[in-house]
Amino acid sequence: MTRSRAHSVAWKAGLALWGVIGFLSSVPARAQDDIRCLTCHGKPGFEKILPSGKRLELFVDPMRLRLSIHKERKCVDCHADVTEVPHPSIPEKVNCGRCHFLGNEVGAPQLERYAEYKNSAHGKALAEGNPKAPVCQDCHGDHFILPGSDSRSQVSHRNIPQTCGECHLEIYAQYQESVHGQALAKGVKDAPVCTDCHGEHNILKPQDKTSTVNPGTIVNTCSRCHAKVVIMEKYGVKAEQVATYRESFHGIANEFGMLKAANCASCHTAHQIFPEQDPRSSVNSRNIPYTCGKCHPGANANFAKGRIHLNPKDKSAGIVYWIALGFKILTLSTLIGLLIHILLDLYRRVKNRKQAPRHDEAEVVEKSQ
Amino acid sequence: MSEENMSEQESGFWGSEDTAETAARLSRSISGSILKELPQGLSEPQLKRLKKELLASLEKEMVLESRRVIRLFLEEEERLQKHTEKKRRIKELLDESVERLSLNQRLQHMILFTCTIVLIITGLPIKFHEAPAAEFVIHLLGGPNITRILHRIGAVGLTLVGLYHLWYCMAFEEGRTNFGLLLPTLRDAKNFLHQIGYFLGLKEDRPLFDRFSYIEKFDYWAVYWGMVVMITSGYILWFMEKAINQFGKVAYDIAREAHSDEGLLATLAIIIWHFYNVHFNPKKFPGSLTWWHGRIPLEEFREEHPLDYERWLETQDQAEVDPIWPGQEPDGSADGSVALSKNAGPKGGRTS
Repeated sequence: MTRSRAHSVAWKAGLALWGVIGFLSSVPARAQDDIRCLTCHGKPGFEKILPSGKRLELFVDPMRLRLSIHKERKCVDCHADVTEVPHPSIPEKVNCGRCHFLGNEVGAPQLERYAEYKNSAHGKALAEGNPKAPVCQDCHGDHFILPGSDSRSQVSHRNIPQTCGECHLEIYAQYQESVHGQALAKGVKDAPVCTDCHGEHNILKPQDKTSTVNPGTIVNTCSRCHAKVVIMEKYGVKAEQVATYRESFHGIANEFGMLKAANCASCHTAHQIFPEQDPRSSVNSRNIPYTCGKCHPGANANFAKGRIHLNPKDKSAGIVYWIALGFKILTLSTLIGLLIHILLDLYRRVKNRKQAPRHDEAEVVEKSQ
Repeated sequence: MSEENMSEQESGFWGSEDTAETAARLSRSISGSILKELPQGLSEPQLKRLKKELLASLEKEMVLESRRVIRLFLEEEERLQKHTEKKRRIKELLDESVERLSLNQRLQHMILFTCTIVLIITGLPIKFHEAPAAEFVIHLLGGPNITRILHRIGAVGLTLVGLYHLWYCMAFEEGRTNFGLLLPTLRDAKNFLHQIGYFLGLKEDRPLFDRFSYIEKFDYWAVYWGMVVMITSGYILWFMEKAINQFGKVAYDIAREAHSDEGLLATLAIIIWHFYNVHFNPKKFPGSLTWWHGRIPLEEFREEHPLDYERWLETQDQAEVDPIWPGQEPDGSADGSVALSKNAGPKGGRTS
């Protein structure tokens, strides 16, 4: 027993020693710089009052830093221009593109997104010198960067609206009230957030033809969820609304490139989407005259009498269903009747020809003379 | 002498009006040849007198001859003209066609089908918008904005020709008569059953149709139904704001459904039924031209509209007696064809 116990202690001690050696040999080498930085920046409340009177927080929570996806990186990996302490000048803003570009060799993911950003509305604004244009850090955070799949991330599904709302405050408020925002607040994972419609790194202005919210493409964007029965049936929304729209004159005109025709957002609005029954809804029967009147001047309350998304093949369409059915029967019966008549006529002609070929020949001979 | 005759004839023929120069030329050549043939030793005055006499008589003859030639020529011309005229009339009778559709009717039909074709080409792509061909047609015509305008132009044309037709049926003698003949009667039902019996081999002969068979009557009244449905629903769609404000969106939905469905029904009926009867039917293939020249071959007339044919024959008997059948005129030049028409043409048979 004692022997085995002694053996066990020795084993544990050896393990501990190995661990200590391992810690001393590897971690401090990386942490040395960081420890120097954190001497100041690790103190809560470390800040600087700028000449403008604005308070610049310089505290970096080492715990959060250690949780972030960049935990392996040193401070100076990103803050590459910091070489002296104290810093002779205010360090530059970090340029993520140092590592995050397609073909990098430092282990950052190889993604097309970096280039997409440059062509996006945000990237273009930046290139034009707009000081408000967002860069990577504005959405992804600085020291506490986490993958989007992490619920704590600034770019996680749940947090996206808030992140975008930092700048797009008014739209954020509208979205929060809307059916999509409400669903998100309730924790519905299917609820669309900003990026689901607008895209992430490739966000484009609605006027841009390739934008996902351009009048020419918005129908496809909405139908990514609204045409899917699996998703829609969970929330009591009809998936056929997309199909009925596509069958309507609005949908057909849109399909053929007549973009002044109404698309989903023309009637339902882009951000203030509410269920039909909600009096705030643009498609509530009380608001229909206004909504339709945007394109159909003089629209009155009668525009609400009858369905907009009408499926003539469904009994719920009422009289239109019966008319469609009536025409179906009329068309089929008429055409079948006419075809039978034609076939009988041909049948008799063929029979005549077989029975009396001599007559035909005689006729031909007579005529040729 | 033969040369002289020829030159005389020619000069008379061609130069009868300015004789002076020709006569001088002739007199020179004649006097030369006479001088050669005359016996020598005549005195100068004698010779002069003789020449003068000869010339005078020759001139007289020449004038007479030229007149004769001109007369002959004119007669021949006239004869040829008569001949071609006769040939033309014979050909006409050989073609054996009678006017079935008046110019007015043909123009109505042409406007109707032009508008209908425009409407179908610009309308069907909307109904079958998913089809690749639909997008092709729309963009071929210049995009949805253009096809919308084309569709409305077609619609106005169709409406106008429809309204004109109603007026034509009331105000024109021709319209009233034909409209009367187009009204469905019990006889049409009988004819229909008879025809089916004939198709199936239960009857030996075809039913006897009047000016319009039940097939044509069906076509005619199908257009009425189609026009009423399409024009009514079409204008609701065109002026949809007013229509919805007045009757509610459900009116628009009904119009949309009816317009779409009846459009397809009409298109199919035209392509399958009407085209079979006037184009693809083995007897008519590749198509009757009655819509263009309005005429129907006599043989076809007799076969397809026997009752109307009888009526037409009566009017023809009263109207004219044809003078150019063989036997009545001794000209054999068109004998073969005339003989054939006499045998084949019912008219020839009756008059001779």
